[in-house]
Amino acid sequence: MPDGANPGLALLVGIGVLIALGLIFWPSRGLVSWWATSWSATQRILVEDSLKFLFDCEYKNLFCSLNTIAGHLNISIDKATRLLDRLVSMGLIALDNDTFHLTDAGQSYALRIIRVHRVWEKYLAEETGVEQEQWHGEADQIEHQMSVEEADRLATQIGNPVFDPHGDPIPSPVGEIPAHTGQSLSSLKEGDIATIVHIEDEPPTIYAQLMALGLYPGMQIYVLDITNGKISFAANGEECVLTSLFASSITVEMLPKEVTVKEKSDLLSSLALGERAEVKGISANCRGRQRRRLMDLGIVPGTMVTAELKSALGDPVAYKILGANIAIRKTQADFIFIKRLAVEP
Amino acid sequence: MNVKNKEDSILSLANKLRWEVGVDFHDLVIESIYRDASRIARKTVVLKGGKSTYNFDRKLDRILTSPWLGFPIMFLLLAVVFWVTVAGANYPSQLLSALLLNTVHPLLKNFAEGIGVPWWLSGGLVDGAYLSMAWVVSVMLPPMAIFFPLFTLLEDLGYLPRVAFNMDSLFRKAGAHGKQALTLSMGFGCNAAGVIAARIIDSPRERLIAIITNNFSLCNGRWPTQILIATLFIGGAVPAYWAGIVSAGAVVGVAVLGIIFSLAVSWVLSKSILRGEPSAFSLELPPYRPPRILQTLYTSLIDRTIFVLWRAVIFAAPAGVIIWLVANIHVGHSSLAGYFIQWTNPLGLLFGLNGVILLAYIIAIPANEIVIPTILMLTVVTAGLTGVGEGAGVIFQLDTIGDTKKILEAGGWTLMTGINLMLFSLLHNPCSTTIYTIYKETNSLKWTLVSTFLPLAIAFTVCFFVAQLWRLIVL
Repeated sequence: MPDGANPGLALLVGIGVLIALGLIFWPSRGLVSWWATSWSATQRILVEDSLKFLFDCEYKNLFCSLNTIAGHLNISIDKATRLLDRLVSMGLIALDNDTFHLTDAGQSYALRIIRVHRVWEKYLAEETGVEQEQWHGEADQIEHQMSVEEADRLATQIGNPVFDPHGDPIPSPVGEIPAHTGQSLSSLKEGDIATIVHIEDEPPTIYAQLMALGLYPGMQIYVLDITNGKISFAANGEECVLTSLFASSITVEMLPKEVTVKEKSDLLSSLALGERAEVKGISANCRGRQRRRLMDLGIVPGTMVTAELKSALGDPVAYKILGANIAIRKTQADFIFIKRLAVEP
Repeated sequence: MNVKNKEDSILSLANKLRWEVGVDFHDLVIESIYRDASRIARKTVVLKGGKSTYNFDRKLDRILTSPWLGFPIMFLLLAVVFWVTVAGANYPSQLLSALLLNTVHPLLKNFAEGIGVPWWLSGGLVDGAYLSMAWVVSVMLPPMAIFFPLFTLLEDLGYLPRVAFNMDSLFRKAGAHGKQALTLSMGFGCNAAGVIAARIIDSPRERLIAIITNNFSLCNGRWPTQILIATLFIGGAVPAYWAGIVSAGAVVGVAVLGIIFSLAVSWVLSKSILRGEPSAFSLELPPYRPPRILQTLYTSLIDRTIFVLWRAVIFAAPAGVIIWLVANIHVGHSSLAGYFIQWTNPLGLLFGLNGVILLAYIIAIPANEIVIPTILMLTVVTAGLTGVGEGAGVIFQLDTIGDTKKILEAGGWTLMTGINLMLFSLLHNPCSTTIYTIYKETNSLKWTLVSTFLPLAIAFTVCFFVAQLWRLIVL
């Protein structure tokens, strides 16, 4: 046998190489992605992040102290003090009577960063398959790398969006942004009817849980009860209970009392074979290409659908929509709201 | 100046109003279009009959997609298609090969000698370029000319979308689209055609997955290699009365392994480098139609068979010249092929292959059909065998498999080399025709490189571990 290497040794070396490659390239845990995410927080990034935070506080009329800045940026008080000094010397913030506020230059700088951040989030939501828990983190990195011109080009390409996927307004190229409206969900009273206008994406753990509940901007809610710091409300006919900490992540706009509360809708996936239903709408959590595809197929409010056929393994199911048989996966059918109709005789 | 002011105020008003149109104004536009369209349709469109064909479609659908009958019917139909292809292609292939290889080749050779063409020119053009092209045509054309029309016929009938519908659940778990079941089946005919067929997948991420993993469908050009090596080495390793069934089982096993790799790699791709690509599933189940035989024949022959064959021939000609040249250009006392084989042999052995196989897979990249003839020619030349083959640089295949085995064993082949060659043939990079087609379809160098080198890396990894484990356990 003319084999040069000792097979046992070669085997060990081979396994070693595979493990090493795995450690380097493993998605989101390997060395490569670790290097990519942890390129040290340079001074410029700290400056931009603090401006963004200061703008957010001023925009929402929140009090902002040295402590909150240090906490938000995850740096020591000492470092935060030096950072603020630096901002003052750069003419981006001004100090009077121990409180600081953004100068005009600081404000327009902050708006540029926010524009890049929100345009990128909108891009991720509409044009890519990146999951929503990851939008914010990716935008937080890209906002420091992308130029204003690149962001403008991207915005044009995706149709000059006005709101980001969390419901926040995207500042216009010249830095216009509408005044902050709405109030925190935790400030509502029993019996109030409101529309969710914004779901805060920080901190990520709270955001992920709110997403898991299926809440989205544009959703109509009806407050059922407030007791012991917990608020319970009906959203799309389902009852949700949140602690006030979670509720404060949600911004709502009050609706007049006369508005009739939307009744509970069924999901298309619950339709049994042979049943007919009228489409009520598509969840806002179904976005981009997927949403356009469903609408192109005729899934818009008012269209009639009939469940026709189950595939051999039960998923997908074919529905008769506008005379065509369209197969839809369960995960998609879960996004489509319907109202059941009586079966035709 | 006044006009300018007016313009500015209009623009700033427009900018203000932008915030007020809301998040979902695009949806509102689409909804109003549908509302108008359906209002017009209600007034003007009259529906007549159609109920009976609709009921027939429904009954057929109930059978073809039923949990019990759906899969058996699918496997039966696909098995029939493959059987008809293999059985039907045998005779025309022999005919073509007798004509192009045994009759026209000597004629051309004699003609070139007759008019006094120098030996190196006639060698390069007739033994190199012509022979490769003729080989590709005679092995490739008949099965493709049978497989593609049959497949197009099933498509035309409306059956293939039902296959995708039934298989979607499985492919969804691998992060892929149900229609990948179709491109995968198409890949059994030809990977280049399978890659083109991925156009039917309209979701970008799933389409890329289907393109990159199509290589793992054991294509037409690789079946003969698998059958030959399985018969020689795996069939030869068991008692004679088991040989037939064991070697057939090994070939089917390799094909099934290919499907498993296809699904596993799809899953990994969808979770790693293709994670951020957009995705949107939809699958229309069109009504069943009587097939249009003539049109089917025409489109499948022109669009698929001739198109793919033409690309393969274009690539085969220069490769034939190179195959001839590496065996005939001598530097010192050895040919270029000899040097390369000597140099890469230790590397090849590490992966359970050898230098001849590595060189053959490099220079026979245009078509998998000419890999075995090239291996035979190179083995004869480097092992210094006499009395077999047609001379340096002239690819050939023997009529009896016993003689073929003698040549390969003279080249140092063992059962393990046979098994590893089968695995390498299944998993290695696509042929140049397919690579070019991938570039044309994706229009991206990045995805072309991934589709080329990812399978190659997998092939070497698998062969390496099989070789080392074999040496550790069996020897």
